[in-house]
Amino acid sequence: MSRPTVTVINADGSASQDTLPIANVFKAPIRPDIVHAVHTGMNKNKRQPYAVSEKAGHQTSAESWGTGRAVARIPRVSGGGTHRAGQAAFGNMCRSGRMFAPTKVWRKWHQKINLNQKRFATASALAASSSAALLLARGHEVSTVPEVPLVISSSAFANAAISKTSKAVALLKAVGAGPDVEKVKKSRKLRAGKGKMRGRRYTQRRGPLVVYNPDEDGKELVLAFRNIAGVETSSVYSLNLLQLAPGGHLGRFIIWTSSAFAALDKIYGSTTEPSALKKDFLLPSTIMKQPDLSKLINSSEVQNVLRPVRGGAITKRTVVQKKNPLKNFQVQLRLNPYAAAFSKEKLGQQKVESKGKPQKPAEAFQGLLKED
Amino acid sequence: MATVSSDLIWEITRNTSSNLVKRKQAGGVSFSRDPLNLRNQYSRKYEGLVDDKAIGVQPAEEGGVTLLVKKANKQNSPATAIQKSTFPASRSTRKIYASIVHSTTNRGYRLDLRRDAVARASAIRKSQKPVKEEKPAKLRGAKARAAASA
Repeated sequence: MSRPTVTVINADGSASQDTLPIANVFKAPIRPDIVHAVHTGMNKNKRQPYAVSEKAGHQTSAESWGTGRAVARIPRVSGGGTHRAGQAAFGNMCRSGRMFAPTKVWRKWHQKINLNQKRFATASALAASSSAALLLARGHEVSTVPEVPLVISSSAFANAAISKTSKAVALLKAVGAGPDVEKVKKSRKLRAGKGKMRGRRYTQRRGPLVVYNPDEDGKELVLAFRNIAGVETSSVYSLNLLQLAPGGHLGRFIIWTSSAFAALDKIYGSTTEPSALKKDFLLPSTIMKQPDLSKLINSSEVQNVLRPVRGGAITKRTVVQKKNPLKNFQVQLRLNPYAAAFSKEKLGQQKVESKGKPQKPAEAFQGLLKED
Repeated sequence: MATVSSDLIWEITRNTSSNLVKRKQAGGVSFSRDPLNLRNQYSRKYEGLVDDKAIGVQPAEEGGVTLLVKKANKQNSPATAIQKSTFPASRSTRKIYASIVHSTTNRGYRLDLRRDAVARASAIRKSQKPVKEEKPAKLRGAKARAAASA
């Protein structure tokens, strides 16, 4: 069986003669549920602990006044000579009190995710990146891209050819990724909320992810691409789900170098061949060989075991309005097939054949009829 | 090429898609930004992104209508997947409808979209016409006429 192939695109955007077989990882099942769950977990693993001060709200010697003073029994600041004296303290409902359930640095900040699940999710996200519809649904501007997955010849990167940002931009434009980069540039907005003052001042969309093979393409391209807004680079040996499915949504636009694309089968193996680089990993196989529902329904296997439609061409209709056969000719025909001929011959409109006055019956008959 | 089935794409994108426009008004309507969606409704039936044989009708510049036809065998080449053909403003509307039907429904595209495609083309053409000014109200009665002439 010849495996489907993908055309390798030259640095100037034209299609080259070379093709590469589609890697097995692109046939992995696309499972948004797994990707979402793994993404939610992984997204938590870069957090830094924070908490309110241990002492916050407790730096006062407040004591309750007890009962009998016609005020609530909440601890109150002792002393006098200042407005603070006699004010309630400590409680979460109090001004300058401690918060409810003060946050602690020993919260469970990080999530352990099963390795096989992470690998499944990565394979799934890669498979989704080969569908143009999913890229469009994620919001990537790929309508100018010649082919998905987009594979650029590694010769474009050879000898550190792409080491300057200007060259990287020109390359992206040449291969049809220009609109996606442009979209990112336009999308830069001030973040809503307090994140602005916490080092997350702007929000912007994600652009293409450039995946390279560090052994063959070198690492200079990382420097070339890093100052283009929204464009990220990743080594094919260390793909990250947070980049492959940002926000847990499938369909990141990936630009492959041909050597990175060729390395995929070595990295991920297949459903039967274990991966060379990942220990004990077989690609997940799809449960449904044919996910096209209309094809399934219309297949001869399904249609053969279905009972035929009841009634055939004329089906008895229940619960319908009764039609008057004298007024509705079609209904009359159903009841009386002769009605067609009757009406066609216009038998109903013919005069009765007459031969003048009827003859008087014979005397004998009259006598018999009127016998007293 | 490993193609993903329409049904799977719909299941993946029905809740999160860049085309989906959800509003809380009118009982939570879902509209679509998809140019290949003839009714702008976000549903499996009308979402052209999902369908491998979708049709789109868009207004063209200077009063024409553009027909977008998605090619089923070009699923993995986005740059050539959508065939565009523009009917100029000078083309009569009936001929536009006929050519839309001829190049889609008569060529194995979905029959159920025919009405919507023609209706959309019609609506686009209607919107491109200048709006007729309302006639001034006719004066009723001798007094009113006398007041107007004075």
